[in-house]
This record gives sequence, structure tokens and C-alpha cells, in this order.
Amino acid sequence: MQGDKTNIKKLYALSSENRRFCFPQPLKNSIRIGKREYEVKLKHDEKHGTYILWKNRKYPVEIIRSRQNRYEILFNDISYTFSVETPFSLKRRKVLKTAIGKPDTESVKAPMPGKIIEVLAREGSTVLRGEPLLILEAMKMQNEIQSPVKGKIIRIIAKPGSNVMKDDIMVEIKVE
Amino acid sequence: MYIIIKHVRFHPTIKINYIRMKIRKILIANRGEIAVRIMKTAKLMKIKTIAVKTAVEPNAMYLSHADIIFDNSDDDSEIPVFLNIERLIEIALRTKADAIHPGYGFLAENAYFAQKCIDNNIIFIGPSPDSIYKMGNKTIARKIAESAGIPLALGSNGKISDEEEAVAIAEKIGYPVIIKAESGGGGRGMRIVRDSSEMERMFLIAGKEAEKAFNDSSVFIEKYIENPKHIEFQIIGDKMGNIVHLGERECSIQRKHQKLLEEAPSSALDDNLREVMGKTAIDMARAVGYYSAGTVEFLLDSNRNFYFMEMNTRIQVEHPVTEVITGIDIVEQQIRIAEGKELDLKQDKIRLKGWAIECRINAEDVQAGFAPDPGKILKMNLPNEPYVRIDTGVQPGSSIVANYDSLIAKIIVSGADRKDALKNCKMALDKVWIKGTKTTLPFFRMLVRNQKFLSGDYTTAFLEKDLDKFYHSSEYEEMLAAWLATSLFVDENLKDNSINADYGNSREMSPWLLNKRINQF
Repeated sequence: MQGDKTNIKKLYALSSENRRFCFPQPLKNSIRIGKREYEVKLKHDEKHGTYILWKNRKYPVEIIRSRQNRYEILFNDISYTFSVETPFSLKRRKVLKTAIGKPDTESVKAPMPGKIIEVLAREGSTVLRGEPLLILEAMKMQNEIQSPVKGKIIRIIAKPGSNVMKDDIMVEIKVE
Repeated sequence: MYIIIKHVRFHPTIKINYIRMKIRKILIANRGEIAVRIMKTAKLMKIKTIAVKTAVEPNAMYLSHADIIFDNSDDDSEIPVFLNIERLIEIALRTKADAIHPGYGFLAENAYFAQKCIDNNIIFIGPSPDSIYKMGNKTIARKIAESAGIPLALGSNGKISDEEEAVAIAEKIGYPVIIKAESGGGGRGMRIVRDSSEMERMFLIAGKEAEKAFNDSSVFIEKYIENPKHIEFQIIGDKMGNIVHLGERECSIQRKHQKLLEEAPSSALDDNLREVMGKTAIDMARAVGYYSAGTVEFLLDSNRNFYFMEMNTRIQVEHPVTEVITGIDIVEQQIRIAEGKELDLKQDKIRLKGWAIECRINAEDVQAGFAPDPGKILKMNLPNEPYVRIDTGVQPGSSIVANYDSLIAKIIVSGADRKDALKNCKMALDKVWIKGTKTTLPFFRMLVRNQKFLSGDYTTAFLEKDLDKFYHSSEYEEMLAAWLATSLFVDENLKDNSINADYGNSREMSPWLLNKRINQF
């Protein structure tokens, strides 16, 4: 962490869809909506597990993953991914982003453990976003795994008939 | 008695005087919520039940509902026990069960299994092997429907031998067409073809898929009905030839032919159409000498023309919505009929009262295209309201395992009419609390707020065509999640005595860690 910690007056949570949420630092256990402050409480009990109490309603929360400043939060059964930035890191991020641009390869990972039934894509071919790459069977359902990006297929690691674990890389795509 | 039933298989028109036999002990050849469901009715009927314990789910909830548990956990067979005909017959004989209930899935629509039960003097709680076989083969079913005067979508007479024949038939009936597996079901081996350039490829894919899924590559072709509603009729018949229908269910909310939500009745039917379709369903059942509970599925197009699709020869996942609006226990009817009793229902006495909606809460990740999300259920609180019926085989501590389907619970909500049921459904969904896996809850929360769904004017194309977002999240929810992420960041990076816990491996924060956190704020 760079800079004097006590100097940080704000923190930003950037969503994967690039929505920005700004919170004052030190972080308060209340959130301002318009002119009113509403209390947020993080609680835990035997019946509900961990939850957030907000405007008299309980919302189930789980931390699915945390790595450095990136957090995947399950909130009311929906997952959200944020990167939390200080004003300094946000600025640096912007500079880096214009310098490098988008990441150039995308790894398609197995969303769940299962068996590869069919590989539809071919190495070297170009795929559009949403184009089916392969069929993964899990829990009696055949799931079509689609390309998250437009690009060229560099490598297909998944082989028909093989089993994959969750998060195994199946296909690598060069983003175009 | 059993020899006579065997005759039925080959001569379904022969009238037989059945000998009645009281069922005293049922082996449940199934697991999960349907095993629990069957055992609940058996208990009311004072019939003992036997459940099979497996190594995959040794602590499953359904076991606690059984009178007798047969421990099969040391079975080292390659085939799961619920698909192992020889093993199930052996268990039934050893436990002296006089009947087997197959539930749904597994061997429920396996004619050979039904015949094996009969051969071993065990009552199969379901239709005759003959009915199962005929309705299981889609081209035979089509032929029977045709000769019984049941409306059918135009199609091929029997299986297609090659792509040239496929093109010729498609040209004759007109595109779009759908290629279906002869031994199919559940959406597998189906391909929609919109013009002749796609035919060759789709024909080969469908055949290959059918071969993999059903061990039978035979496919046939039907005219594809665009944007239909899926309407099915519950029918119940006895061995004397009495058949009634219990009204319809609408199951148009589907994803890749997998049903997600069902309601009864359907807002698309009026009394006239209901009577015509109901009568057609009964005719279809009669044409195969059907007894026990069954479902005749139709597609209903926008001009209110309906076409026979298939008949399911088992109890269905969505049977509770029919039970709620008719007050009839379908499992009880299945058992009575299996005992050889005469139907105690009369068509003109069956009334559809109110409205019922079933939401299938599955362990699936709606945000990842409904991918299964197996895992352990850590917390589960379900609504306890007079307007809610819950059918589940899962409790806190249960695991949703990749070997079986991903159903956690069926939330069946009733109301005086559709509007009332939808209002109750919205309330009930907010009272469902499940932690441990992702679920289809956000999908249903979206659905009960969707104007097109609320209007009742939706078709099987609803998910594909009318939705751009598959889940509901209110405007503040993402902000609250952002606040939580930020507070975790503060703890890990900006506090001097930060608690560097590893969240990577656990989804749930431990209470002690949480208390520390709360104290720090």
C-alpha cells in the first residue's frame, strides 16, 4: 500500500461492469442515500449465517473469493465482483489502462466440475462473443460453454471425454 | 394375476377382471424430494416404506422418512443403484416389498424394469410395460396418436434414414422443422432447422446426440411450432378402463426444454378449450390402454391450435400444482390403482379451485447460464405460510451432489386467482433463505416482477426472446455488496492490526472473525 494510510479520504469499489461506488474513509457503518443516512450492519447468527441488515431486511452474504484488492461477493444470491481502489491506485489504474489497453488473452475456465462432451471450436479459428466453444456435461445437463470475447483461439486444452475440475482452463483466446 | 397382466402387454384391448391386492410395503426406487413425497402419502395410507441408502448420500433426508432403510452403501457396481434393475429387484425381494414406486427419472419410464417387477410378483406402481414402451418410442406414439385422431404437427412417418430423406420431408412439410430423437425426451437430441442448408449438419448432430443420450441414433422430423405454449394434462386411469383428467398445467417457462416454473391452471385456456384438450388427452391415454397417473403434453400455438407432443408415463416433478387446485393426492391414486381398485374420481366432480405456481429452486448459477452449482447447503430457511407448500429432500448439511439433479426444493404457492398467487409467490420467494450454493431464486424474483410474465402472455421462447437479464437485483443491492467489499479491503489493508484471514477456501466467514470485524466498526 503506497502513501500514508491516514491520508486516504475515500475508497472506490469498481464493479466488473465499471460502475463506481465511492465510500468515505474511515468507512462508516451507514450509507447515505440522498439526504438520509441508513445504517448497515454485518451480522451472523446460527439460523441465517452471515448477513447484512439494511432497512430492517436481512440479505444473505458470502465472500466467494478475495485476491489482493479484488473481491467476489455473493449478495442475496447474486455475485458481484469489485476491485477496491484508493484515490492513488485508481489514478494509477487509469494510467496503466491507457498504456496497455485490454488484456490480450482470455482464459475460458470450467464454471463447474464435469465432463467435456464435445469440442466445437477449433484452434486457430476466430470466434465471436457468445459463440459456443464446447459442451460440458455436469449434473445430467449439457452446458454450452460460450466464448466470453471476440477473438482467435490460441489453444484448446479441453479434450472430448476428459473430466475437468472447477476453474480448469479449457480454452485460451487472443482477444481481438 | 401376474400372468394375466403379462397378456395385457401384447393384447391391450382384452378386458380382464383384475384381482385386487392390498399393498403393504413399498420399495422406493428413488431418492430426494420425490422419495419423501411418496413416503408421506404411504404413511397416510398406513403402508410401510423402504428407502435405499447409498454411499453418495448416506445422510440424505429421504432416509429419515422411511420405515425401513436398506443399506446399499457397500455396492461396488458401476451402475448407480436407482438405475440397476437386477439390484433393485433383489432388494425388493430381500425386504419382502410387495410393490415398487419408481418416482420420476431413473427407471420410471423403463418398460423392461416394469416387466421385471411383474415377473417377480412385485407390483409396479405405474402403467403397464406396454404403455411405457409405446409412449417412450416417439414414432410409435405418433402413429398411435394419428390412428386415434389426435391432432399432431406434420411430420415424418417413422424414422429418417439419411439426410436426403430429411431434406425431402422438410421440403414437403415446410421449414422450420425440428429433428427429434425417437427414444428421446428432456430436450436432448433435438435440433431446429430453419432452411435446407442447415439440414445435413443438424441431422448428423441430432443423430449423434441421440446415440450418446439414449443409445439409439434414430431421429424423426416434425414441423416446428413457433413460440408455442407448453400445456400438459394430468390424467389418471384405472385398470378397468376408467380415465379422467385433472386439468392442465402450463410449463412454458423453460430453459433448453428444462422446466423452471409451472402453473395450474393456464391463463391461455377457457372452459371450452380445456374440455376439448382434456378429452383429447383422455382419448390418447385410452388408445394405449393407460392406467395409473400420466401426463399428455401438447403445444398450443397462438391461434389456439394444439398438437400432441408426447405422453409421460410417470408422476411428474410439477404434479403438486395439480394437487393444490384439485385437492387430489396423485400418489394415493397411483397406489390405489396399482392395488387394482376402481377409480373413485368422476370427471364432473373434479373442480379446479384457485391457482397454483411451482418454482423449482435448483442449485444453479443463473449468472453463468444456469450452470449447476453443486455444494453443501449450509443454511436453509423456507417459508411457513398457509399459502405455501414445500416439497424438498434437502436440509441444512445436505449436499447437492453432481451425480444427481440439482433440485433443492419446490416452492408451491397458491392463491384465489392468478394475481393473488403471484402476489403470494413474490412474498414467499423473499422468505426463502438458502446459503451454501447459488440458486435459481434470483431468476424467480425477476420473473414475478416481469410484466410479460405477469400478464400470462408468454411462450416457451420467453427466456430466449423476452429476457435480457435472468435475475433480479434491486438498486441498492449492488451498492451494499460494494460496501462489504470495501469494508473487507479496509480490514485487510488499512487497519494496523488487520486480520489477514484467507477467504479463498471458505465461503462463510467464521463467527469469531465476524465478531472481531463488527467490533472494529
